[in-house]
Amino acid sequence: MSEPLSDHARETTLRVARVMYPHDALPDEAYEKVVRAVEAEASGNDAVRSTVEQATAALDDPTPFAQRDAGAQLQALRDAGGTPYFHLVRATAVVELYDNPLVWRAFGYEGPSVHLGGYVNRGFDDLDWLPDPPIALDTGAGSHHTAGGAR
Amino acid sequence: MTRYRYDDDDVVAIVGSGAGGGTLAHELVQAGHKVVILEAGRHHEPEEFVNDEWRSFKQLAWLDTRTTSGSFRIAQDFPHLPAWTCKTVGGTTVHWAGCCPRFMEHEFKASTYYDGIDGVNALDWPISLADLEPYYDRAEAKLGLTGTNGIPQLPANNNYKVFANGAQRVGYKRFHTGRYACNPVPRDDRPATIQDGFPFQGSKNRSRWSTLYTEIPRALATGKLDLRPQCHVIRVETDDQGLATGVTYVDGDGLEQFQRARIVAVAGNAIETPRLLLNSATSRCPDGLANSSGQLGCNYMRHLTASVYGIFDKPVRMYRGETMAGHIEDEAPHDPARGFVGGYYLQLLSLGVPFMAAFVNPGAWGRDFTSFMEGYENMAGLWLVGEDMPQQTNRVTLNHDELDQFGQPVPNVHFDDHPNDLAMREHAWSAGEALYESVGAVRTIRTPPYPATHNIGTARMSERPADGVVNRFGQAHDVPNLFVSDASQFTTGAAANPTLTIVALAIRQAEYITDGLRSGSIPTGHAVWDGRDPGGPAPDSATTPATAPADQPA
Repeated sequence: MSEPLSDHARETTLRVARVMYPHDALPDEAYEKVVRAVEAEASGNDAVRSTVEQATAALDDPTPFAQRDAGAQLQALRDAGGTPYFHLVRATAVVELYDNPLVWRAFGYEGPSVHLGGYVNRGFDDLDWLPDPPIALDTGAGSHHTAGGAR
Repeated sequence: MTRYRYDDDDVVAIVGSGAGGGTLAHELVQAGHKVVILEAGRHHEPEEFVNDEWRSFKQLAWLDTRTTSGSFRIAQDFPHLPAWTCKTVGGTTVHWAGCCPRFMEHEFKASTYYDGIDGVNALDWPISLADLEPYYDRAEAKLGLTGTNGIPQLPANNNYKVFANGAQRVGYKRFHTGRYACNPVPRDDRPATIQDGFPFQGSKNRSRWSTLYTEIPRALATGKLDLRPQCHVIRVETDDQGLATGVTYVDGDGLEQFQRARIVAVAGNAIETPRLLLNSATSRCPDGLANSSGQLGCNYMRHLTASVYGIFDKPVRMYRGETMAGHIEDEAPHDPARGFVGGYYLQLLSLGVPFMAAFVNPGAWGRDFTSFMEGYENMAGLWLVGEDMPQQTNRVTLNHDELDQFGQPVPNVHFDDHPNDLAMREHAWSAGEALYESVGAVRTIRTPPYPATHNIGTARMSERPADGVVNRFGQAHDVPNLFVSDASQFTTGAAANPTLTIVALAIRQAEYITDGLRSGSIPTGHAVWDGRDPGGPAPDSATTPATAPADQPA
């Protein structure tokens, strides 16, 4: 079992995930889930761990990533676009960040419903800013079982 | 639980338990035949399903290694996941939503309509809509489609209200909540939908049809079906006359087994079905079993597939309710004036936040992406499903450089979009955007094709043996006791979601097999038993012979 990531690698990865997938209203807690998943990858795999350590160290050159302004951070990630570290954090973040009830609530997604009886009595049809449209075919519209336009 | 011996040469062996295999098994046991289903996946009951996209995906999806090549974007975004199908009892019928349009007459006639287009390997089906209509009627009753057989339409959910109002405003005439295989009211010993919004993750309350809790338990109740989950077939075996003798598979304990069979039917989805037949090559057929035409694995189709999402200034909450209960037919006819042949449907679609993030624009990051995600509550979605062109070079092959957990070569899926596919997708994207803009969308986004749930055409039907793999009943031209029972047998894909047609063809195929066994017109292969323990007592002599169907189906 190799050592977990350094504090610096963890903190930098959290900043990187925030710049990649910026949601200003989300707390750091949401992004810590991403860091934990990256660390889980790294803790079982020395090659991944050293990739993360080296890449986060490189992001501090010439000035610490965390201390740069937003534009410089974004540019640093664009420059890192093809690196294994970038791919690892991006692929991990796009799953871990959005697979989280805390984030779902922030975006208005209610998630699992079957244990609450579904939405049949909880607003599946409560949209009221448009008129109720027809739900069945107007039988006067004719059959669609034709080729339509002539060849 | 019925268990047939390995050396029982009276059974029909069916590979796969989804729409094709599960339906075929049900119809055959009702006619008195002995059936063994070999299903690669586990037997999950609906109680085990979860309303959670990633957890469900890991539970149900076919995640065995596959590789990709070609210019389609999937090869970059999801190089090991060309298709989103299932590995579980019930197959992809545990994952589908329930959309069930019939094919249109002209869609059986690709040669007539699409011949002469560069790169299109066009071929007419050897059957017509009229041949299939009686079986569509039976399939619709079996699946309990809304708007048929006295079954009401599903009600309008939030996402449909946006979709249908947009349809009206852009001038579409033919839209509704779908011919949909989900109960709006209790029927067929299954309850009505509770609009839970998770059909793709398995319908926990069984309101949406799946072979898992309809055809398969009913077949088991007859005592004629031997269902074997976690049994992955790796070869169809043949005798020195080239007839099928049974299947070799790896069981749940990792042991290789052989099941003798009088007939083998393959329904493993249009990637696994050709893979299995290619992997069953012998010195008699070095290019794969039933492949004298050279078409096995070729003409792989995955439907147009694309999506459009619209964001509004008020809440939609599209995730509430039946996910795909909305259907627009106006763009489905063949109208070359639009700049492409064939047509497409617009259908309702919603994804949860986890899968929206993964699929809306794979690889995207930054504020443009996150601002889209923050619009989730005010978002409406639709899917674009249309006919893609059969191309000989789009094909499933064996990748001998990568082996699966059983030491077998994995399937490689090669796909290049045809110019007609690209033109249709462009038209469809624009149509979806116009629809949402007509009801006030503040932003729309085009989503590229997802890993395909519609996989079609890799063992196609043909009138002449030189043009395809199977005949008009799904019977292999080269091997008369071998059948293909899934969408692999489709000569072309049409615009329609394939399940209804798979079920209709399976019902028809079961009749043909029953007739053929009764008349003796389907020959049987001869397997010399290799001396291993055949398992269990000798076959029960009192068992009704398959040649004399039971008078009273159970």
